[in-house]
Amino acid sequence: MSGSDSSRGRAALDRAAARMLNASVLQRLAIATASTALALVVGLVVVAAAGYDPIDFIANVFEGAFGDDAAVSRTLKFTTIFILTGVAVAIAFRAGVFNIGVQGQFVVGGFATVMSILWLAPFLPENAVGGVGLIVLGTLAGIVAGGAYAALPGVLKAYGGANEIITTIMLNFIAVGVVGWLVEGPLRGEGNRAPNTERIPEYVEFPSIVYDSPDFSVVGLAVALAVVVIVAVVVARTRFGYDMVTSGHQESAATYSGVDAKRTIVTTMAFSGMVAGVAGAVFAIMIQGYYSDPSGVGTYGFDAIAVSLLAANNPVGVVPAGLLFGGLDSAGAHIGLNSDVPVQLIDGIVGLVVLFVSAPELFRMAAARTGLGGDDR
Amino acid sequence: MATSKAQTSAVRLEGITKRFGDVVANDDIDFTLERGEVHALLGENGSGKTTLMSVLYGLYDQNAGTIHVDGEPRSFDSPRDAMDAGVGMIHQHFQLVEPMTVLQNVVLGHEPTENGLVDESAARAEIEEISSRYDFDVDEYLDTPVRDLDLGTRQRVEIVKSLYRGAEILILDEPTAVLTPQEVEGLFDVMDELTAAGRSLIFITHKLDEGLTAADRVTVLRDGAAVGTVPADGTTEQELARMMVGREILFDRQPRETNPGDPVLEAAELRVRGDRGLERVTDVDLTVREGEILGIAGVQGNGQTELAEALTGLRPVESGTVRFGGEDITGMSRRRRIEAGIAYVPEDRQTEGLVQDYDLVRNALLGNQTIEPYASGGFVDWTAVREHAENIVEEYDVQPPNPDTEASSLSGGNQQKFIVGREIEHDPDVIVAAHPTRGVDIGSIEFIHDRLLELREAGLAIVFVSSKLEEIQKLSDRIAVMYEGEFIDTADPEDVTEEELGLLMAGHRHEADDESAADATEDAPEGGASS
Repeated sequence: MSGSDSSRGRAALDRAAARMLNASVLQRLAIATASTALALVVGLVVVAAAGYDPIDFIANVFEGAFGDDAAVSRTLKFTTIFILTGVAVAIAFRAGVFNIGVQGQFVVGGFATVMSILWLAPFLPENAVGGVGLIVLGTLAGIVAGGAYAALPGVLKAYGGANEIITTIMLNFIAVGVVGWLVEGPLRGEGNRAPNTERIPEYVEFPSIVYDSPDFSVVGLAVALAVVVIVAVVVARTRFGYDMVTSGHQESAATYSGVDAKRTIVTTMAFSGMVAGVAGAVFAIMIQGYYSDPSGVGTYGFDAIAVSLLAANNPVGVVPAGLLFGGLDSAGAHIGLNSDVPVQLIDGIVGLVVLFVSAPELFRMAAARTGLGGDDR
Repeated sequence: MATSKAQTSAVRLEGITKRFGDVVANDDIDFTLERGEVHALLGENGSGKTTLMSVLYGLYDQNAGTIHVDGEPRSFDSPRDAMDAGVGMIHQHFQLVEPMTVLQNVVLGHEPTENGLVDESAARAEIEEISSRYDFDVDEYLDTPVRDLDLGTRQRVEIVKSLYRGAEILILDEPTAVLTPQEVEGLFDVMDELTAAGRSLIFITHKLDEGLTAADRVTVLRDGAAVGTVPADGTTEQELARMMVGREILFDRQPRETNPGDPVLEAAELRVRGDRGLERVTDVDLTVREGEILGIAGVQGNGQTELAEALTGLRPVESGTVRFGGEDITGMSRRRRIEAGIAYVPEDRQTEGLVQDYDLVRNALLGNQTIEPYASGGFVDWTAVREHAENIVEEYDVQPPNPDTEASSLSGGNQQKFIVGREIEHDPDVIVAAHPTRGVDIGSIEFIHDRLLELREAGLAIVFVSSKLEEIQKLSDRIAVMYEGEFIDTADPEDVTEEELGLLMAGHRHEADDESAADATEDAPEGGASS
C-alpha cells in the first residue's frame, strides 16, 4: 500500500515537474509574484501568532521600504548591490555552472578596489578628476580581482573535475578569512580602533544627486543598470553568450557545434566573478568608503542566489527581483529600529520570502537536471 | 495452482503500442517469455527494445496492448508495482548507492525490521543464502562500499538485489555493455544458474553473438516492430543481422557514373578509444574523394560512431593521422574543422544535433557561431540567422514550416531534415553523415538520400555510415565493412550481395583475401591524384 502511495506521489511529482519545465516566462513571473504574496501572508500569520499586530507590521514594512526619502534611498542602496550580485549569479546559472561563490568574489573585488584606490591616490590629482580616475581604476581592479577569484574554481572544475559548488563555498571562507586577517593586521588603517582599512579620500565618491544620502547615489544604481544591459546584450546577442547558454542547456549539442566546453566553464565563471567584482567595487566606493572585516559586510552574494532564482536567471528580471529584496532588507532595518517586533522575526519573514520565491525555480532547475517530468527531454 | 502456473507463460505481451508524440516507439508488438528461458530481445539502438521493457516494468504506460504476467492481466503503474509482482529490471546504469555497502544497497527500501530497527543479521543471512545458491560470490563483499567493487560484481549485486525483492522474472538491459569478456562469461554462467532454478530472463542486447550464446530464443525488433522470434539453436548470426537491419524495397540503386576527383578526407592507421577507455577503432585507413560516397557498413556499436567523431573533431585520436585536403588536421579542434568545411550529421540528433528547447532559429546558429553572415566580430546577426532558418525550413520541407517552433516538438524525420539542411548549407567540402535516416519516415529517407546523391554530383566527398544494407548499397560508390573497430573488408556496391554484406557485418571475413582486406583506401594507385 505504501508502495502505490509512493508511486502516486512520484507520478504527481513528475507531472508537477513537467508543468514547471514547460512554464512560460510569463507564467514563471506570475508564480514568483504569487509566491512573494503567499510568503508575506504566511509571515503575517506568524507575526500575529507571536502576538504582534499584523496590520501594524505590514504598514511598517511599506513605510520602511518606501515611506520617505531616507527609506527609498536605503531601499535603492540595497537594490543596487542585489542587482549586481544577482546578475553575477544569473550569468553562471544560465550556463549551468553553479557559482555559489559570488559572496567571496564580491569581497575580494571590493577589497581590491579599496586597496588600489588607496595605493594609487598619491599619483593622481586631489580633485574631482582624480576622483573619477580612481573610481575607474579601482573598479577595474575589483573586476579583475573578482574575475580571477571566480576563474580559479572554473579552472578546477573544467580541468580537475572539482565540483564548483564545493570549491566556491570553500573559496568564500578563504576570501572572508584572508581579507579579515589583512584588515585586522597588516593593512589596518593607522590609528584605527576597528579592523578597517584606511578611508579612501573624500573626493573619491559617487555624487549623491537625487537623495541626500551618504551611502546611496543614483550613479551607483546607473552602473548596476548599465551592467544589466551589457550582460543582457552579451547573453542574447553575442557568440560568447550563445555558446555559454547553449552549454548550460545541452552541453553535448554545444560541443557538437564546436564549443570548447571546458574553456566555456572558465570564461563563464570569470565573467560571473567580474560582475561580482563590480558589485564589490560599488559597495566599497558608494556605501563603505573603506574595507572592514568581511564577515560583517552583509550576505549580498548569498542573497543574490535567491534574487537570481526569483528572476529565473534572467539578467533583466534581476532588476525587479533586486528591488524586492532591497525593499525587504530596508524594511527590516526600519522595523528593527521602529517597532517592538524582534529583529529575528523580521529575518525569519525575509527568509520565508526567500524560501517561497526560490523554491519553484529551484525545483524547476532540479527537475531539469534529474530528468523528472519526462525522460524525453 | 502450482500446475496452472507452470503451464502459463511468465510474461505475455500482446499488441503493445507506445507512441511518443508522433514517433511510434513500439508498434503492435507481441512477445512471450516462457518460464525458465532466456529470451533475447535483439535490435539496434532506437529499435524499441528498452521502450518495450519499460512498458512491462511500469515506467511507461502503453497506448494500446495488454500485459499478462503469470497468466494474469497486469498493468503496472510503477517499477515498485512490477517488483511486487515479481518482475525485476537490471538497468544498464546501475541503481546502486556508491558509498553504501552491498548489504545496505540490497536491503534499501525493503529492510527487514524487528521492533522498528533494521534486522541486519536476518538480512545478512538471506543475502548469503541467495548468493551461495546461485554462486554469486557477493557474500564476501557484504560490508564493502559499492564504489570499491568492479563493474561485474556490481552487476551481480544488482541481480541479488532483485532476487532479494522476490523477482521471478528478470529484465537485463544491455548487461554486457560495461563488462570485460571474462565478466561476460561470468554473467552468462549466472544466467544459466537462474534459469536452472526456474527464473525467467529477458536479455536485451544488440550483439548478435551474445544473443545466440546466452538465449534460448531470440526476438528481433526493428524500427519499433517485432520482425520475428527464432530459436537460438539453428539460427546463424547473419540471419539475425539480416532480420535486424532489414530490407526496404524502395531502395534501388540507380545507374550512375563514377569519376572521383582528388582525395578530400583521409585517415591513416587511426586508433580511437571509446567513452569507457576501450579501443573502439583499430588501425583504420580510409580515403574519400571529391564526388564519391564512401559507405561504412556495420552493425551498430562496432566503432562507427567513434570513427565519425574522430574524423569530425569531436573525439581525440589515440594514434594515426587525419588529413583534410592534404593537410594534417589530426589535432585540429572541432570548431576549426567546421570552419574548414567538414560537416557532420551526428548520429544522435536529440542530444547533439539540436538543442531541444531552442526554437529552430536558435538551432540554425548551432555550429555557425563563427560563420559569416550569421556572426561577425563576436556578435550574432539574428536577422541573418532567422533568414537561414526560414530557408532551411522551406528548402528541406520541415514540418511545421515555422522557424519559431521548438526543436523538441518536431518529429524525428523533421528534426533530421533540419539538421541535414543546416549542415549542407554550410557549403562544406566533406560531409560525414552517421545514420542520417535512422528513425526517419520513408518520405524523409528518400529526400535525404536524394540530397546526398545531389551533393555527390556536385563534387562533395561524403562518408556515409549506416547499418542498413539497402541504403548502403544504393548510395555508396565503395563500401567498407566495419566490425569490432576494424575495416574487415571493402566491397563494390555494384556486385556485392546482401548475403555477402550480412556475413561481413557479422564478422566473417572473406577467407581468400583476408590479408588485403583491412583497408578501404582505394585500390587504384595513389600517384596521379594525390596532392
